[in-house]
Amino acid sequence: MEILLRAFELIISLDSDLYEIIFLSLKVSIIALFFSVIIGVPVSALIATNSFVGKKFVKILFNSLMALPPVFVGLLLYIIFSKSGPLGFFEILYTPAIMIIAQIIIILPIIVSINSEYLETIFNEYKDLFGMLNAKLSHKIKVILWDARFSMFTCILAGLGRALSEVGAIIIVGGNIIHFTRVMTTTIALETSKGNLSFAMSLGIILIFIALILNFIALVVKNLSVKYSYD
Amino acid sequence: MITLKNIFLRINKKKIFNDLSLEFSKKGISVILGPNGSGKTLLTKVILGLVNLDKGMIKVYSKNKIKLGYSPQKITFLRRNVFDNIAFPMILDGCDKSIIKKSVNDLLKKFGIFEIKNLSARNLSGGLGQFVSFVRSIVGEPEILILDEPSSNLDINLKNRMEDYLMSQRHKRKVIMVTHDLFQAQRLADEIILVENGVILMKLSKKEFINAKSNKIKSFLNKNYY
Repeated sequence: MEILLRAFELIISLDSDLYEIIFLSLKVSIIALFFSVIIGVPVSALIATNSFVGKKFVKILFNSLMALPPVFVGLLLYIIFSKSGPLGFFEILYTPAIMIIAQIIIILPIIVSINSEYLETIFNEYKDLFGMLNAKLSHKIKVILWDARFSMFTCILAGLGRALSEVGAIIIVGGNIIHFTRVMTTTIALETSKGNLSFAMSLGIILIFIALILNFIALVVKNLSVKYSYD
Repeated sequence: MITLKNIFLRINKKKIFNDLSLEFSKKGISVILGPNGSGKTLLTKVILGLVNLDKGMIKVYSKNKIKLGYSPQKITFLRRNVFDNIAFPMILDGCDKSIIKKSVNDLLKKFGIFEIKNLSARNLSGGLGQFVSFVRSIVGEPEILILDEPSSNLDINLKNRMEDYLMSQRHKRKVIMVTHDLFQAQRLADEIILVENGVILMKLSKKEFINAKSNKIKSFLNKNYY
């Protein structure tokens, strides 16, 4: 109980260290999500609307990558971007930039796999209509993206949730450096090991609060979709 | 105008069409009659180029780029309202927004369905959905209109509106219609095509069909309709 009270005190007192960590977490995850969406949505649209050799393999690959252990992603990036690694000259190890790359690798397969399923279902349904009207690929993609927008938004929120809660990869590549690469999840791990449970708990509460907000947004979107999706 | 030559088609190793050839009249209404599973719907899809043939050729003669209108038996609507679904062929054609708005609204008013324009097309009743699909098929002023059982769920009021429109258009465009309704076929058809087991049994004028002197026609009608 004392830990909880101290945690709320930290949150209410607008502790600068605490909020610095929260803002960095949000910044890294939102940037990672932005790039994952920019890359992932067109890729899923192309998978959904095209038949090509190896399509099944590509889908299986992205499905499998959803289960990729973050610690392994962290290790892989560490090897590649460490000074002696092939991309070491970029010198981004232990910076927010590599944390963003790690999160993109983790959430991109979620965005691609789930969205391509939504889009393919809609595309197969519209296939004859598109064929008869000689629709161009750009039109087809525009139509299915618009008609799947609510489902896709929920999937994107799930991607954000995954990014915010990730710890294994970013602790390896970010190094958990105070005032530079320390984010909520890595701080919780560190502060717990140090016995500073109230600080860890305050971050845990904030994480749960963010999860609640994401779920609330998902619920609002679901309700909007009932009204506006015309499905 | 539309000629099918030596069409061969198998689906899942089953022979659907085996050397089918057919020539449609240039204008007017051609009605395709036949029992369930005789290949009528597939025949329309062949004309539309929606199925990959094993062999054969489809020729459509026109001076300009052919515009097709199609109302399928199994209707697909976009997850949009009625207006947007009807406007869709014009949007794909790259028509101007104001022209689309005017054309679609005019059609909705003409066919007496203006009040449903903001409803979800996917949630319409079977009959209304079928009628909206029909209206969508004519929105781009197609030269060839292909209707697959367009009135099977329509009430008499909507059926009359559709038939009146088709009769008014018979000299302006080519209409190919699949129906099970013999009386509708007699009312609308300029030519009637009898299909059974993927084979074109006969192609007749309306007069020949109504007189039904041939034993082949009599036996077809007895077997499938009476």
